Amino acid sequence: MSSKEDKPVEQSQSSWKDFIYNPRNGEFIGRTARSWALILLFYLIFYGFLAGLFSLTMWVMLQTLDDYTPKYRDRISNPGLVIRPKAPEIIFNRSAPSEYKEYTDHLEAFLSKYNSEHQKNNIDCTPGAYFIQDNQPLPKQVCKFERSLLGQCSGITDQTFGYSEGRPCIIVKMNRIIGLKPKPTPFINCTAKKDDKLSVNYFPENATFDSMYFPYYGKLAHDGYVQPLVAVKLLLNSSDFNKKLSVECKIEGSNLLNNDDRDKFLGRVAFQVTVTE
Amino acid sequence: MISGFSLLLWAGAVLCWIAYGVQVSQAPDVPRDNLYLGVVLAGVVILTGCFAYFQEAKSTNIMASFRNMVPQQALVWRDGEKKQILASELVVGDLVEIKGGDRIPADVRVISAQGCKVDNSSLTGESEPQSRSPELTHENPLETKNIGFYSTTCLEGTATGLVISTGDQTIIGRIACLASGVGDEKTPIAVEIEHFVHIVGGFACSVGVIFFVISLGMGYKIMDAIVFLIGIIVANVPEGLIATVTVSLSLTAKRMAKKNCLVKNLEAVETLGSTSIICSDKTGTLTQNRMTVAHLWFDNEIVSADTSEDQKNQSFDQSSVTWKHLSRIVALCNRAEFLAKQEDVPIMKRAVMGDASETALLKFSEVVYGNVMAYREKNKKVCEIPFNSTNKFQLSIHETDDPHDKRFLLVMKGAPERILDRCSTVMLNGKEVPLDDSFKETFQTAYMELGGMGERVLGFCHLLLPEDEFPDSYPFDVESMNFPTSNLCFAGLLSMIDPPRSTVPDAVSKCRSAGIKVIMVTGDHPITAQAIAKSVGIISEGSETVDEIARRLNIPISQVNKKDARAAVVNGMQLKDMTDSDLDEILRNHGEIVFARTSPQQKLVIVEGCQRMGAIVAVTGDGVNDSPALKKANIGIAMGIAGSDAAKNAADMILMDDNFASIVTGVEEGRLIFDNLKKAISYTLTKNIAELCPFLIYIIVSCPLPIGTITILFIDLGTDIIPSVSLAYEKGETDIMNRKPRHPKRDRLVNWQLALYSYSQIGMIQSVGAFFCYFTVLAQQGFLPARLINIRVSWEDKNDQDLEDSYGQEWTYEQRRYQESECYTAFFVSIVISQLADLIIRKTRMNSIFQQGMLRNKVLLFGLASQLIIAAFLSYCPGMYDALRFCPLR
Repeated sequence: MSSKEDKPVEQSQSSWKDFIYNPRNGEFIGRTARSWALILLFYLIFYGFLAGLFSLTMWVMLQTLDDYTPKYRDRISNPGLVIRPKAPEIIFNRSAPSEYKEYTDHLEAFLSKYNSEHQKNNIDCTPGAYFIQDNQPLPKQVCKFERSLLGQCSGITDQTFGYSEGRPCIIVKMNRIIGLKPKPTPFINCTAKKDDKLSVNYFPENATFDSMYFPYYGKLAHDGYVQPLVAVKLLLNSSDFNKKLSVECKIEGSNLLNNDDRDKFLGRVAFQVTVTE
Repeated sequence: MISGFSLLLWAGAVLCWIAYGVQVSQAPDVPRDNLYLGVVLAGVVILTGCFAYFQEAKSTNIMASFRNMVPQQALVWRDGEKKQILASELVVGDLVEIKGGDRIPADVRVISAQGCKVDNSSLTGESEPQSRSPELTHENPLETKNIGFYSTTCLEGTATGLVISTGDQTIIGRIACLASGVGDEKTPIAVEIEHFVHIVGGFACSVGVIFFVISLGMGYKIMDAIVFLIGIIVANVPEGLIATVTVSLSLTAKRMAKKNCLVKNLEAVETLGSTSIICSDKTGTLTQNRMTVAHLWFDNEIVSADTSEDQKNQSFDQSSVTWKHLSRIVALCNRAEFLAKQEDVPIMKRAVMGDASETALLKFSEVVYGNVMAYREKNKKVCEIPFNSTNKFQLSIHETDDPHDKRFLLVMKGAPERILDRCSTVMLNGKEVPLDDSFKETFQTAYMELGGMGERVLGFCHLLLPEDEFPDSYPFDVESMNFPTSNLCFAGLLSMIDPPRSTVPDAVSKCRSAGIKVIMVTGDHPITAQAIAKSVGIISEGSETVDEIARRLNIPISQVNKKDARAAVVNGMQLKDMTDSDLDEILRNHGEIVFARTSPQQKLVIVEGCQRMGAIVAVTGDGVNDSPALKKANIGIAMGIAGSDAAKNAADMILMDDNFASIVTGVEEGRLIFDNLKKAISYTLTKNIAELCPFLIYIIVSCPLPIGTITILFIDLGTDIIPSVSLAYEKGETDIMNRKPRHPKRDRLVNWQLALYSYSQIGMIQSVGAFFCYFTVLAQQGFLPARLINIRVSWEDKNDQDLEDSYGQEWTYEQRRYQESECYTAFFVSIVISQLADLIIRKTRMNSIFQQGMLRNKVLLFGLASQLIIAAFLSYCPGMYDALRFCPLR
C-alpha cells in the first residue's frame, strides 16, 4: 500500500485493538454479539442442512447398492496374480535362518487359514466342474482346499518351506473376483525371465486353479471362502546361488488375460530371488 | 510480470518444484504432477505477462503514430550566415529566425518582429493567437510579449529571436521534468488485486499451516506434511484468474477504443469506473471548440441562432428588412475566407483562414446566405481597415451589386459600445430612425443580457456613402481616413459563444446520477465559464453561487451562509490566495464548482485538493502544462485532437474525439469491468474450496485422493477460463450508472463477504456435491465409504497387488489407479456441472437473472457450452487416461 495510508503508530495500534473489541459499539472483531450469534446460527443451519442433504443422498445411493455384489464389476474383469511371501524381491542366505524367517513366518501365517481345523465346514467338491450355487440359500458353501495339496510347500513336512536348502517355495495366488469363471481350467507356468534355465516343482502337480473353486460369491455370501493356490518350488542348483534370478509366473491355458500392457500384474507376476550360500 | 498476482503464481510454481524435489528425494519414481504443475504455473505467468505487454505495446504504437517524427529544424545565424541546423544543436545566445508556420525551436527573446503571432496552446491550452514584439510588457516571463516558447507555433509574421534557454531549461522542459517528478500512483485495480492476493494468500497459508500441524499430529512424516502444506497452498492459487483479469481488461480497452477512449494503461480502465470527481477542461471538451453565432439582436429583439454541431436550421424570422441589411454587413465586413476546394464539405467542417470570431461569422452567413464568397465577389471591396485594439472596429467599403445604385457601401463591425458611439441613426423594421436615449437604454439592456450569457458581442453598422461626395473613382485612403466613420446607421448585434457539445448536458446529468462530481477547470472568464457550466448542467438549474444569493437578497457577501450556495465559481486569482484548508472547504461545501481563470499549474493544486478528500480524480487536459496534473490524477485523460504529445504521454487514457461524453461511456465501462471482474473472481474462487476439500479429506480420512493436481489444472485453466472471460461480456446491470462511485476503502473488489460467500457457502455446496460423486463412483465399484477410511497407505502401495474391497474382491495397483482416475473424473465433472450453475448465479449481482436476461450474453452461453464440451472431450476422448488420467464415466 502507498505511504499515504501509513497512520501514526499509536493510532494504528488503537484501531487494531478496536477491531478486536470496540467498547463504543460493543463490536467484537467487527461484529456485535448479536450479529455473531446470527451469523453462527446461519452457518449452523446452513451446514446442518448441507450435512443432512449429503447424508440423505448418500443413504439413497447406498440403498441402490446390493449387499452381495458390487453394482459394477467392469474395473476388475481379469484377476491379478500375486505371490507369497509378499515381497518384490526375495533375498536370503540359506544357512542363516534369521534371514529367511521373515518369509517362512509370512507363509505360515498366510497358510494358517488353510489348516484343516478352519475348513471343517467346507465340503469336497467335484474337481473339474464349476461349483455353481446361484440358487442355493445363503451362506454359500465353500470347497475345501487342503493345505496338504501343497505337498513339500505346505509347511507341514518342511517347516522352512525349502528355504533352508536354498530351494524356496513361492505361493502364487489369484485375486478373488466375484463371479469369475475361468475357462478352461487355468494353470500356472513359471519361467526365468532371461535365458537362465529354471526347473520348478508345482503343487498341486498340475499347477491348476481347479474350476470347482469358482465362482466366488463375495465376502458376505461366501464366508470362509478359501481361494485355490499353486505353490512353486524353485529347484535352484549351486550354480544358481549368489545371483539375482528373475522369475515370471503367468496364468495360462484359459481366457484370463496375462499380457496387458498397462497392468503388469494382470494374470502374471514377476519377482526376483537371490539365494546366497 | 512481477506484480502481486503474478508473484502469487511464481510462489506457487516454486513451491511445486520444492514439493517435487522433496518427493523425489524420498522416492525417485513419484508421479511428476507437481513438476508439471509448477511448469504450467510459470507458463501462465509468462503468457499473461506477454499478453499484457503486447496489449500495451499496441497502444504505445498508436501513441507513437501521433508523434511527428520529423526532427525539428531551426534557421540560425552563425558565422555571419544563415544556416539550417537541428533544433537540438541550438545553444544559448544563438540568433534564430522564425516565420509563420514554424515551431519555435527554443525559448527565445524576440529582438525584432513583423506582425508575429504565436499559438501558445501547447503551453497554456488557450488557442487564441498572441502577438509577439520586442517590448517587455510584463514582469512574468509567461505573460510578456517578447518571449517565444519552445514547441509553440508561430502562426503568422516573422521574428528574430535570441535563444535564452534550450532543452530541459525551457519552460516546457521544466514542466516535463515536473511531470516526470510526480510519482505514479498505484491504480485502484492494482490496489484491489493486491488486497485480493492478501486474502487468498492469507487463507491458503492459514489453512496450509493448520493442516500441516494436524497432519503432524496425525503422525504423518514431516516430509509428507510439507508436501501437503505446499499442495494446499497451491490448490488455493487461482491459476486462471490472472489470465481472466488481463483478458477482461483488454476486452474492455478494445471496447472503449471503439468509443473513442484509447487506454494506454490497461489497469486505468477500471480506474475510470471508480472515479468520483472529474475535473474537466472547458474548451474543446465540454464545448465544440469553435465560436458560433448564438444570438442576434435587431429590431429591438433578441433571437437565438442554432448552435448545434451541424446548424441545419436557423429558425429565427428572416423576413425583416433590418435582417437583410444586418446580414449584408456580416457577410461583407469579414476578412475570413474558406480555403479552396471544399465545396463538398459540410459548411461547419470547412477549413477557414481567419480568426475564431470571423470564422464563426463567415460560417453563419454562409448558412443563412448561401455562397458568401460569390456575394463578396459581386460587392467588390474597395478599401478596408482591419481590426486593431485601439480602434476596436473593423471597416470596409464595397461597391454594391445593385447596378442602378452607384453608391458605395461602408460596413463596420466592432465592440458594441464603440459602434453605437459612431452611429446617429438606427435601423428599425427596415427604416432608419434617429438614435435616441431610449434606444440607447434598450441597447444597453440587450448588450448586458448577451454579455451576461458569457457571449462575445459584436455590433454592426453601415452607411451608404452619398454618390455626389464619393463618386466611382473616389480614392479611398486608409491612412487619412477620407471617408466618414461616424453618424452611421446601427443595424444590430451578434453574439458568439463556443457552444457546448450537444451530448455533454446528457453526459453531465449521467455523471450526476452516477454520483460523480464534475468540476470545470478553465482558463476562460468566470462569466463565460459559468454560462457554459449552466448550459451543460455542471451548475444545475436553481443552484446559486454565494454572489448570486447576495445579489438576490441584497445583503453583503459576508453575510451569506456559504452552505446555502450549491454552486461556486472560483477565480484563479482567488485560488492563488487560498490555503489548502480553504480549498478543501470549497470542495466540501459546494457540489457544483467552476474554476475560472486558472493557470494550468493551479490544476495540480485542485487535483491534490480533491485527492485529499479521498476522491478518485479524473483530469482532462491538453496542454504541456497540464501534464503534471494529468500524472497526479488517478486517471489522466488527454485530448486526442487538441492534446500535446506531453499531455498524451502523461495521461493514462486518450479521448480520440475530445468529447466529454466519451468519458462518461468510459466511466460506465470502468464500472462494468469492476462488476464483471468481481463476478469473475467470485466465480473462480468458488471452486477453490471444492479443489481444496478433497485434499484436506485425503489427509484427515486417509482415503484415496478424490481429485488430482492435473485435473485441478484442467478446471482452472481449461473449463473455467472461457466462462470467466465471458463474464466480461456481461452487460451492465440496470443500476450501474445510478450507484455512487465505489468507495476505494470500503467497496473492495474482493471482500470478506465475497470470500465467505464463495468459499463457505457456494464452495461448500460444490464440495459436498463432488464428494457425493466420489463416494458413489467408489461404492458402485465395490469400495463402500466405510472401507475407504485409512485405506490410503495400502491404496497407494505399488507392492500391494491384492487390496481387498468391501465385497472381498482383490484389486491390483493398476486397477485401483484406474479407479482413482474415475474418481478424479467424477469429481471434475461434478465441479464443472456445479460451476455451470455457479456461472448463472454470478451472472448478476443486483438484478434478478430474469431482468438481466439469460440469453443476452451470447459469449456466456458459449462459455456454458464450452465447459460441457471440454469436460465431455476430456472424459470420453480415447487415450485420455494415458495422457491425463481422465476416464470415461458411465
